[in-house]
Amino acid sequence: MDKSDTPLIGVSQAIVKTKELIKHVAATGLNIVITGESGVGKEVVAQNLYYASPRKGKPFIKVNCAALPDGLLESELFGYERGAFTGAEKKKRGKFELADKGVLFLDEIGDMSILLQAKLLHVLQSGEFAPLGSEDDHKTDTWVLAATNQNLAQSIKNGTFRKDLYYRLNTVNIHLPPLRERREDIPFLIEYYLDFYKVQFKNKSFPKPDRNILEKLAAYHWPGNIRELQNVLQRLMVVGDFEAISREFNEQDKPVPDSAQRISNETEIAPPLPSSNPIEESVEPDFSNFSLKKIKKKAADKAEKKAIALVLSKTHWNRSKASKILQISYKTLLYKISELEIEPVGGL
Amino acid sequence: MGDQKKLLIIDDDAEILAALDNYLRKKNYNVSIAANGLDGLKLLESEPGRFDLIITDLVMPSISGVAIIAIAKKKFPDIPVIAITGWGEHPEALATEAEADLVMEKPFELSVLESKITEILSGKK
Repeated sequence: MDKSDTPLIGVSQAIVKTKELIKHVAATGLNIVITGESGVGKEVVAQNLYYASPRKGKPFIKVNCAALPDGLLESELFGYERGAFTGAEKKKRGKFELADKGVLFLDEIGDMSILLQAKLLHVLQSGEFAPLGSEDDHKTDTWVLAATNQNLAQSIKNGTFRKDLYYRLNTVNIHLPPLRERREDIPFLIEYYLDFYKVQFKNKSFPKPDRNILEKLAAYHWPGNIRELQNVLQRLMVVGDFEAISREFNEQDKPVPDSAQRISNETEIAPPLPSSNPIEESVEPDFSNFSLKKIKKKAADKAEKKAIALVLSKTHWNRSKASKILQISYKTLLYKISELEIEPVGGL
Repeated sequence: MGDQKKLLIIDDDAEILAALDNYLRKKNYNVSIAANGLDGLKLLESEPGRFDLIITDLVMPSISGVAIIAIAKKKFPDIPVIAITGWGEHPEALATEAEADLVMEKPFELSVLESKITEILSGKK
């Protein structure tokens, strides 16, 4: 859901408290960590903080710290000077520079490497950062909001998260419990998103679900939380039949073993989306290999491949144009095309 | 009792909160307590000028003591703040950065705390 001013929906204690917290801390500029399982709406909280703050109207920049390998994430955050390394053909502004006076939302902060954590800590302490290859420190006035589905206190014990960074970021913590612990919110979420999708899918006459179905949906354990609920409702819009969907819920509603549930939380178990976005694609997650590094690399490759393929198709395979849009060198692009086995679709 | 000093104590540890409350009441302070940062903040903001001194734990869920100090010092710079912290926790540097007037590490003698309170309050006026 990329509607930028999504409100926090619900009547549960957790939502009421979260709204209250936002009201009290949005203007303070204090660092905040938003915690909760995947799909609970951490980014929505970050956006609400931003909208309630004096920084509203300034940039809101999001970086997913799990999506990029370490070196790339570093250059994303801090940018680099021309010639900082092979392939750095022109200067790149980092997110800290782009988010100046605004908000930098660091999603999946728990996945950031210890080395980068040290650099982030330095920026938070000094308000300064140096782009790669630059000798000068740049000032930044960025409000850093972070989110994670990990237990950072545990990560500290495991040695994967810095305690000093934790205390600095976690000045304020906003925790969103999973949907199954605030079932009273489910009918409100359903109403809100159905109304939203009715407009999006141009299906205004879509009927309201009856009580029976609402009860069924409210009783489901929603391992993928609100994101899963959104997917179900989108599917409902397309299928148009509550009965068919609710029959699936009878099948699904068996208790899920804990470990399987955790896996499905980490990945988007989203059922195929009727999406107009060509980048969207539904592939069953492959858990035959649990090496995090490999999973990360695979995901990064996949994302890269999609992005490059999209840009290539938009530029009608004009590689030089594509490399400019992608901000990589021509040579790198050629290498990527062959490494990732990107081929023209429809024989362009 | 016009000169009774008003304290706000914020700690998520009920035992410590009760102990401080009891002790300082006996010492003739007017004590308000909050069991978490948000409640403490609400008390603080409800009546500006109501408190002469704030005592806050540092490590608390949601709104930490560090946040309390930062907010209090911005909005009510004249109210002194004493931060108390558990053993082995290390947000003291942050508390100092947020301009806590004093950081005390648990465990401490209640009488020491009281003498510090007196000291800070007499220095203020």
